[in-house]
Amino acid sequence: MNTKYDVIVIGAGNGGLVAALELVKSGKKVLVLESANSPGGFATSFIRGRFEFEASLQNLCEFGTKENPGKLYKLFEKLGILDKLEFAPVQSTFHVYSLKEQVDYKLPFGVDAFIHKMNEYVPGCLNSMNKFFLLAEESYNALLYLEENKGYVDQNYFKKNFVNFLKVSIHTVDKVMASLKMPKKAQEIITSFWVHIGSPGSRLSFVHFASLFYSYISKGIQIPYNRSYQISLLLADEIEKLGGEIKYLSTVKEILFKENTIVGVLLNNGKIYEAKHIISNVSPTNVYGKLIPKPMVPKDAVKLTNSRVLGARGFAIYLGLNQSAKDLGLEEYSYTILENLDSNKEYQNRSLMKNCGSVVTVLNNAISTCSCKGTTIVQFTGLFMGDVFSKNVNEKNYFDLKDRVAENMINAFEKATGIIIKPYIEEIEIASPLTFARYSAHPDGVIFGYKATGMDNLLPRMLSQDDENYILNLRFCGGFEVNLAGFHSTYLSGDLSAKQTLKDMKGEEI
Amino acid sequence: MELELKGIRKKDKEAIRFLNKERKKIISDSSSQPIETDFVGNALSNSFHPFLQQVKVADIIVENYNTKTFVLVPNKEAGTKRLAYFRPGQYISIEVPIGKGIYKRPYTISCSPKMALDNTYTITIKRRINGVVSNYFLDCVQIGETFLISAPNGEFYYEKLRDAKNVIALAGGSGITPFLSMAEAIRDGILDIKLTIFYGAKKEKDLVFRNRLDELAKKSNLIEVIYILSDEQINSTKTGFITKEIIDPYLQNETSFFVCGPLGFYESMNQVLKEYHLPNKYIRHDAFFGKIDLEENEIYHLKVITQNREFMISCSSRETLLCAMEKNGVVAPSKCHVGECGFCKSKLKSGKVKTFDENIRAADKENRYIHPCATFPESDVVIELPR
Repeated sequence: MNTKYDVIVIGAGNGGLVAALELVKSGKKVLVLESANSPGGFATSFIRGRFEFEASLQNLCEFGTKENPGKLYKLFEKLGILDKLEFAPVQSTFHVYSLKEQVDYKLPFGVDAFIHKMNEYVPGCLNSMNKFFLLAEESYNALLYLEENKGYVDQNYFKKNFVNFLKVSIHTVDKVMASLKMPKKAQEIITSFWVHIGSPGSRLSFVHFASLFYSYISKGIQIPYNRSYQISLLLADEIEKLGGEIKYLSTVKEILFKENTIVGVLLNNGKIYEAKHIISNVSPTNVYGKLIPKPMVPKDAVKLTNSRVLGARGFAIYLGLNQSAKDLGLEEYSYTILENLDSNKEYQNRSLMKNCGSVVTVLNNAISTCSCKGTTIVQFTGLFMGDVFSKNVNEKNYFDLKDRVAENMINAFEKATGIIIKPYIEEIEIASPLTFARYSAHPDGVIFGYKATGMDNLLPRMLSQDDENYILNLRFCGGFEVNLAGFHSTYLSGDLSAKQTLKDMKGEEI
Repeated sequence: MELELKGIRKKDKEAIRFLNKERKKIISDSSSQPIETDFVGNALSNSFHPFLQQVKVADIIVENYNTKTFVLVPNKEAGTKRLAYFRPGQYISIEVPIGKGIYKRPYTISCSPKMALDNTYTITIKRRINGVVSNYFLDCVQIGETFLISAPNGEFYYEKLRDAKNVIALAGGSGITPFLSMAEAIRDGILDIKLTIFYGAKKEKDLVFRNRLDELAKKSNLIEVIYILSDEQINSTKTGFITKEIIDPYLQNETSFFVCGPLGFYESMNQVLKEYHLPNKYIRHDAFFGKIDLEENEIYHLKVITQNREFMISCSSRETLLCAMEKNGVVAPSKCHVGECGFCKSKLKSGKVKTFDENIRAADKENRYIHPCATFPESDVVIELPR
């Protein structure tokens, strides 16, 4: 059997699958190696009793519609998979609860409607809200331009078209929100969206945050009918149809070099596959720290990795309830439960074991047929900052600890919304940072890649991407990369890494 | 339109040019120590879910005329230092080479999780007529024999956020094993529930663990065991079958039923439990093979495509694809053997099959994935293993 390939992709997560599909479409001979027995990484599903749970997807952003297509729509169109997927648009709202202040804010999608409603909650915020969305839209467009131009900033072009973006480009969310003279309450409500990124207002780059928030409110979200796993399986299927190979239950042990050049990979089972190019869907921490022999790792790669901070660890609860969403009073697709509306205080809380905030999604309110009649699928996603969860676990207390954290989160949801769900739990699965570590091998069960903070925010990452290509013919994709974590980001990261690899290959021809 | 932004300096619009340099400086100031890769979370994760565990048989206990308990400890020479902790009710899958076949079977861990902390599991195996693996264990396995087992698996355990604290266990024959583990876990302070076990068997000689169960019940008011013998009348046991009348006195406002036993037992218990009109959530079954009507014994060709090669074997219409592969020494991934866990998931390339697909995900179903451990051929079949 021929074991030589043009490119080996390590990991069949969102990024790896998109990268592989693009490369096979460009006529390259591609091998994808995946540890699990199914594609998708976090983009998967699982069955308990009569429920099929979504493992991770909350919001598929940047999809939009045919009329108002997002980046993801265009990517899927380019990959030729658009008409093979079915999505439900979510007629949702942004609904935030604060336990401490005992208030909730329910804001609709659509920029105008959002601003209008916000002005009802916080009278007098109209002017600052208008400015915020202007700035957010400009940030979105400027970042799009940067993405298309691979991080090159043409100062004159930017000054002419994105001058406000330039002015705020180095500032945090908190700083820019204050500069808009936005009332504190309105600032806090919007900034509470930080829980989807894992970095608080005092650390997170405004342009990154605002562009995501703008996309979320203006383009809405979509949910695939058969869970995100449907997308994973489709991507894998397309890769194989076009002659690419995917080997499951195949864990890479080492990236092989010959005279400083990548020549292939060695698997745990002793098999060797040859390729000059590698795209890694595995984190740089694991690649530079484990998969590449120490002498082969450039000093700068070590230093870069050591300069970064691991982002949020995941904690998820999957509930199959034996009542319909309507009967339970679950009206929304998504609820954001916070102890504190203030993002920095909330961030502090989430580094404590007793933290109880979460984002709660009700799948049936996106796809009414996702479970049997008279039942509901509810998913909680909580975050732990730092390794507090792992540090508190030992062999004996693990299962109790999981239950305790889950109970805190469910109680907090019930208290905030007044909706009682506990007596109706027919199926429950709890995923701790350890569970995420098991399925992804990510360091310490991180789900959001490296933390977006300081010079590791989106813009510095984008502007430095060409300088940080430390090992010839090794490219990265996934949630640890330039565009940070999240479904659309990781799919798009695959696109970027495929382009980079194709460029690397062109270099060889010349 | 240039916005007026309070506190943002005019020169900030030049700052983007320096981001790259600033980032470079942070990188250059950062440590060049080896990258940390030993994270507590990953180490713990591996300890709870090791890919494989190497064990050896430390002791064999004869439970009755057709059942033995095998005490497993880490095979340290082969690299396993510690056994993974588990939840009472979970199983391990054990790999057993017999002749030219390589078999894997799931067995519930029959001891308290506390034993795992002392590096010990026990599995209790009853002889099944024509059961290749059970007969091998009962007749051939000796102390010192080594095996490969999986990490603890399965969802048949008490979950406090879902289940009632008053638990009634309905055990049929060898289905007692998870409940011994649960009862011992109560004794050891690991499980905080009230457990009443209704243990149905044919005759007294078929009961296993009787002394241990009686001892546990004597010492704890949270554990009670009621024996029901269908084919024998003796003191200290009830005669007949597990019925609503026998169960009724043990019901509380909220009671969860845990059922484990052979298929016939499930069917009769389902009839009994139907009378309570309970929501699904109060009835938990151990993973089991549902009823399936199979055609007459036909022999079909089964082609198996693996990562390296192809096998052509025969498979009867009355055996699962996995069984055929095991018999013929075709190594296929598997764990639960009843179609639940999905570890054996394979692609059906061609052919007609009869399969339990309740536990196959919607997208997998559309893409013709099957679980070979719960699939019977109805024609010649070609499957592709995960590779």
